[in-house]
This record gives sequence, C-alpha cells and structure tokens, in this order.
Amino acid sequence: MSSPLTRLIARLLLVPILLLGLGMLIKGYSETGGGFSGGLIAALGVMLQYAVFGRAAVEQQLPAVTGTALACASLGLLLMLLVTFVPLLWGAPPLSHVPPPDAHVTHLGTLELHTALLFELGIFLLVFGFVIAVLHQVAGGEMP
Amino acid sequence: MPVAPLLLVLLAVPLLLWLGRWRPAITPWLAALTAAGALLLLLAAVGSEPVRWAWATTLDLYLAFHLDGIASLYGAVAAGVGLLIVVYAAGYMPHHLHEQQRALAEQVPFYAWLLLFLAAMLGLVTADDLLLLFVFFDLTAICSYFLIGYDRAYSAQARTAALMALLVTGVTSVAMLAGILLLYAEYGTLAISELASRVQAGVRLDTALALIALAALAKSAQVPLHFWLPRAMAAPTPVSAYLHSAAMVAAGVFVLHRLHPLLELSETVRLGLFVVALLSILIGGLLAIAADELKRILAYSTVAQYGYVTLLLALGGAQGAAAAAYYVLVHALCKSALFMTAGAVTQVTGRKRLSELGGLARPLPGLALVSGIAAAGLAGLPLTAGFFKDELLFKLATEQGLWLQVIAVLAAASTLIYTVRFWVGLFLGPPKRRAEPLPGLLLAPIAALALLTLAGGIIVDPAVKWADHAGSELHHQAAELHAGYKLALTPENLMALAAYALGALLLAARALQPLLARGLRRLDVVGADRAYRLLLHTLNALSHRLHGLEVRDLRDRLAGVFIPAGLLIAAGLIWGPQGERYGVIGFGDATPHLVVALAAVMLVSLLSVRQRRHLGLILTMTGVGLGLAVVFALLGAPDVALVAVLVETTLTLLFIATLALLPEESLRRERRRASILHGGWWRTLAGFAAGGLVFVVAWATLSEPGAELVPERFRQLSESAHAKNIVAAILADFRGLDTLGEATVLFVALLATISLLRTVRRRS
Repeated sequence: MSSPLTRLIARLLLVPILLLGLGMLIKGYSETGGGFSGGLIAALGVMLQYAVFGRAAVEQQLPAVTGTALACASLGLLLMLLVTFVPLLWGAPPLSHVPPPDAHVTHLGTLELHTALLFELGIFLLVFGFVIAVLHQVAGGEMP
Repeated sequence: MPVAPLLLVLLAVPLLLWLGRWRPAITPWLAALTAAGALLLLLAAVGSEPVRWAWATTLDLYLAFHLDGIASLYGAVAAGVGLLIVVYAAGYMPHHLHEQQRALAEQVPFYAWLLLFLAAMLGLVTADDLLLLFVFFDLTAICSYFLIGYDRAYSAQARTAALMALLVTGVTSVAMLAGILLLYAEYGTLAISELASRVQAGVRLDTALALIALAALAKSAQVPLHFWLPRAMAAPTPVSAYLHSAAMVAAGVFVLHRLHPLLELSETVRLGLFVVALLSILIGGLLAIAADELKRILAYSTVAQYGYVTLLLALGGAQGAAAAAYYVLVHALCKSALFMTAGAVTQVTGRKRLSELGGLARPLPGLALVSGIAAAGLAGLPLTAGFFKDELLFKLATEQGLWLQVIAVLAAASTLIYTVRFWVGLFLGPPKRRAEPLPGLLLAPIAALALLTLAGGIIVDPAVKWADHAGSELHHQAAELHAGYKLALTPENLMALAAYALGALLLAARALQPLLARGLRRLDVVGADRAYRLLLHTLNALSHRLHGLEVRDLRDRLAGVFIPAGLLIAAGLIWGPQGERYGVIGFGDATPHLVVALAAVMLVSLLSVRQRRHLGLILTMTGVGLGLAVVFALLGAPDVALVAVLVETTLTLLFIATLALLPEESLRRERRRASILHGGWWRTLAGFAAGGLVFVVAWATLSEPGAELVPERFRQLSESAHAKNIVAAILADFRGLDTLGEATVLFVALLATISLLRTVRRRS
C-alpha cells in the first residue's frame, strides 16, 4: 500500500499537521477554527501514519500517542468539567469565564490567556483521544 | 472541630496505601492507630460549634457538620468497634488469606476500605446537610460492596452477595434522594436543623419521610428488604462483625434518628415503621431460631434486634429516641463480640455450622467466658448492659398497652432462645471437633467488648446518661431515661422474668425444634429473597425478548427508528400551525457558484444510488459531504465548512479501514444481495417518498420568516466576550453547557466502543 515516497512524505507531514491542529485550537476564538477542528486535524495526522505504515509500526514508533489516547480523552473531559464547575467555588454560576466580559485580556503574542481556551483545549484533547483510540482499537490494537 | 475525626481517617487512607506497598505487616497497626485517634478526636470534639462552609452558594450547597449527642454516640460506636475489629482482623486476615492462597500484601486494600468505611460513617453521623447525609450514605454502600466482596475474585458467593447488598441499598437510596429533594422543594432548605423548625404535617411530609424511611429500612435489613444480610455473611468475619452488627445496619437507623423530630409529625410513617418493626422482630427471630450456620443465626438476629430499634423509634418522642440509641449501643457491643466469636471458632475448628460443633468450653475456656458474657448481654440477662436495653423496651411497651407488652415478652423470649442455643450449642455438650489453640489477637477484642458489656451492667449511669442526652438534644426536650436495678415487682421486672421463663420452657421442649426449623425453611422459600431473584430473572428475560423483537439486521433497526420518526414529522407538518411557509426567493444574491455547487451535490447523490460496490458507495457519499462543505463555505459559514470537511475525511478513512478488515467473501455476498434487491418498484417509490418528505420539511423550516438562526444577542455579546468568532463563543461560552453535555456523551460512547471491541476480540 505504500511506496518509499509515500512513507517519506507521511513521516515528514506528521509534525506539521500536529502543529496545524494546535494552531487551529489557539486561533479558534478570533478566526475560524477551534478545539474540535484542531483535534480532528491532529488526529488526521496520526491517521495518515496508520494508513501508510500500519498499526504495528505506529504502535512501535509513537507509543506516547497510541498508549495514552484514552487518558488524553479523559483529561480533555476533566478539563472541560473543571472549567465549568470550579467557578461554583467562589459563588459564580457554572461556566463563568475568567477574564469576565469587557475586562482586559492578557496576551502572549497572539495567544489570549482566557479560560475559554482551556475549554477548547479540553475539546481538542477529547476529540483527538477519541479518534485515535477508536482507530487503534478497530485496527486490532489493545487499549490499556 | 466536628470534622476532625473524619479528616484524620481520610488522610490516613492514602498514607496506609503508600506504606502498605513497602511493609504490609504494619498496615493493621496503622489502621488501629487511626481508629483510636478518630475515637479520641470524636470524644474530645463533642459539643463543639457546628461548621458550615458554603461551597456553591448559587446552588445552595453547603458542607455542614455538627457533632451533637446522637452523632457522638453512633460515631463512638463506629470508631470504637472499628478499632477492635482492626485488632481482630490483624489476627484473622493472615489465616484467611493463607487459606485462599493469596499473598499477605492483599490485606492492605482491606484495611484501606475498612478505614474508608469508617470515614463514611463519621461523615454520615456528623453531617448536618441532607445532601451530604445522602452522599455519605451512598459511600457506605460502595465501601460495603468492596468489603463484602473482598473475596469476589475467588468465590461466586461473595460476588453475588456483594452485588445484592449494593443493589438493595443503592437502589433504595435513590428513594432517599427523592425524599430529600421533596423536602427541599417544599421547605427550601437542606439544613437538618432548620428543617425541624419549618416542617408542617401533611401528605408531602409523609411521602418524603416514607421514601427516606424506605432507604433507611433497607440499609438496616428490615423486612421485606432483609434478604441481603444473610447472604452478606459470605464476607470475611471482621467485615460481618463490623458492618453487619455495628456500622452499616446502624447507618439506616441513624438516618431515622436524625430525622426523628420530623417523624414526630407524621403518624402514617410511624405506623408503617411500627408494622415493619413487628414483622422484622417476628421473622428475624423465628429464622434465627431455625438457622444452622453460625453467622446466619447472628444475621437473622440482627434483623430482629434492629426491629426492636425501629419499634422504639416508631413509638416516638424523646424517650423513644433515647431508648433506641441505648439499644443500638448495647447491641453493637454484644453482636460484634458474638460475630467475632463465630469467626474465631470457625478459624480454630474449620467448621461453620452449629450442628457440627460442640463442647468447646474445655479447649477454649477464655472464649467461652467472654462470649458467654456477650451472649448474656444480647439475651438481656441481669448484670449486663443488655438487661437495661430490654428494660427500657419493656417500660415503653407498658406505656402503650397490654398487647405490646405481650409482643415484647415474646420477642425477648425468642432472643433468649436463639442466643442460648448459640452459646450452649458451641461450648457445652459433647465435643465434636478438635480445636486448635486460639491466637490472642482474636480473643482480646471479644474480651474488651465483654468487659464493656459487664461494666455497663454494673455502672449503669454513664451509658444511659449518654443516650438520654442524645435523645433530649434531638427533640429539645428532656428524655428522662432512667434505668437501674429495682428489687421490686415493677412491670419491667415481671416482663423480664416472664421472658426468661418462656424462653427456658421453649428451650427445654427439644422436640419442637426440628418441626419449627422445617416449617421456617418453607417460609423462607416464599420469602423476599426469592422475589428478588425472580425479579432479576424476569427483567433479563424481558430484555432478551425485546432484543429478539428489535434486532434482525442493521436495516431493520434503522427502519424501526426512521419510519416512525418520519411519520411523526409528517404529522407535525400537516397538522401543525401553517404560518407563512413555503416562500420562494429569487436568485438575487445567490451567486452562480452556489447554484453550481448545489447542482454538483445533487448529481453526486444521484450517482450514489447507482453504486453497486461498497467502495464506490463510500466515496460518493464522501463527495456529497465535501460538496455540501463547499456550499456552507459559499453561504458564509466557514467554521461549519471546515468541520464538515474534516469529519468527512475522518469518517471516510475509518470506513475504508473497516472495509479493508472485512473478509472479501462477505463483501461479495452483500454486493450480490444488493443487486437482487435493487429492482422492485415499491422500493423506488419509498425512496422518492422519503426524499420528498425531507425536501418539504427543509423548505418549510428554512423559509419560515422571522426564524433567527443566530440570535442578535449573541452577535452583540460576542465582542465583549473577547471572541471575534461567534461560533467559538457560542460553543465555549454562551451554550457551553450544551457542549459539555455532548462531550460527556462522546466520552461514554468512547468507553462503550473500547469495551465492546475488547469483549468481541477476547471472545474470538
């Protein structure tokens, strides 16, 4: 299914696709993008590796990704739950973002430090973990 | 600080788990130290200021703790008996694990769960907020699952017993939640202390209290939800001695104690409690007399004894509450001692049944003595604290009338019968089995409990005053509990004597015993245990039947959903308000690109109908999706277009991957079947009808005037919400809770997929 050229390109494309996914996540609040799209793009990058190299090879080469997919999804959900329910501790309604509306937002370059970004990160991790876990399982792997 | 004992135990658990990894042998002593510390902190903190932390004021949630008299009584029982149980387990568990050929290190989680259970009990008794009470109540059920099912990997009996206990207590605790929420909806507060002043008698209060009482009675193993307790005897003996004599069954009655001021206002619920109590006393007593297995005798005895407690609570008033508290205290001491005796005897002789044991007084004189004192305490003989628990019961029964006096005497007689049978059957008579020497660690806790029972019988005042204080504090009026030896012919003394005489008489009538035993075994057959199993069996059969009806293949399942849905939507369209639908706009703004894109999508859809091969079908459907993404982009929805493209790509890849895994033979078979079914005019007609319906629905919905797709409010607010992308703002901010809900569904689907695929793989 794969020729040396395909394998080379697939290997080269992995990191840029992952970075593209992260970029989509970060710029999602001001431009098109967001956590869901970013997560899917990142997952597609890993899916490309599965399609070109096969499950066994990917398990060997990217153990950090294939072994922690379920944990990734759980972490994503946990992050979303925290962002939603931690404001209750200081008497605010659920899902009250910090900084509040019309307040000043700290910028790190173009990165805004806003809890909505944490929420989107949670979605990113959840979608990424979901796709990789299902793909790995269907391809015959074992999820820990 | 009322929270101090709870915090101590909670902090000790991870420490115990961590230290246990290196030196398993010290875990019992650490657990014992923790229990002792908790007991001391509890006794030191009695009467301290209640604590109330608001942690989610918008939802009216508080962490409220209050250590009053009744809390200190139950808490001291839980912590004190817990301490002795840990010492006992230090001697019992090594032998138990050795018998099952398990490593000694496996006892570490045992002590951890035991401490966690103690923490749950401490939290339960000090909680001043109804929801907090409920949380700790359920926590005790969860801990009991792991404790009862400690051997669940090795014994099917332990598995079923643990599951049964969890189901019965867990499901009924939902009723408790419903009752609590009813009270909240009616009176607007969850704080127990405030509720007492706000409630008024009525049907709402009755219903709420009935629901809560249901959960409490199931937990305390009262009839008809008593059947889980004898089954739970499959647990290791320290667990039975702790949970099923002093702690878990006490939790149910504690809830009734806590809400006793509210029970005062509800005649109906108290009547119900009365009936349940009488049934439990009767059935528990009879079954205890007839049972043969040591722990089962004690389990049925617990059912009967807690029937007495429920009876005292049902009689109501500060005196009833105080007497019930004293009963719980004394019962815990005596019953856990007897359970520990049963475990010790089983360990040194290897036998569990009364009929196989006898004459153990000679090899085990110490055990015979201390367990004799405990048995005397349970039976209510003088010089033990048990005498006064019965005396208080008799006194309150006298106030109610002759019929209750008769019942009380009969009940006390039955207690005497099965207790004497237990002790005499074990220790007197001809020796039947050889007994190994008894380890000191097993004897010491029983001796301590026997000493306490004896002390309570001689120095009566401290315990009675404690119970009196507890009852008075609950009702804010004096309970006036008095107990003492009166060498006069008071009604209580007469009743006690009558009970002893009756019991002795029936014991002597040996011939009656086997007849009674046989009759009662028949009673158990139609009992609630059978009903529970029948219920589970019926539910399983029903689900099998539904599964058979619903599922033939994927097509039938989809049809089963889509056809009714389509019909309902059509009905809604025809009979719903018509409004100004079905408008037609001119092409105007719509660019030629849009028309071309839409035409392309239509063309590809038509192509997909003609596909025979699976791969072609998948690719044409992807084409439809991508074409629609272009349409979205042209209509000014870039986020939706992006998501559509990504989802199409991912799903196509997943589809093709799955296709590659399917065997070629079955794919060929499906292709042949599809080509055979392709003909048939009525399928074409159905296709056109479905397509037509979707067309009409889309037209009607989208041409509805005034339908605002993105509310103006969102547009205005998104700027101040720091979002230039409205879609992102809607997903993460304005409608963030919807996103959270969908994320939860996604996660659950992930877990289900993984476990299904894992099971299928394991089976093949």
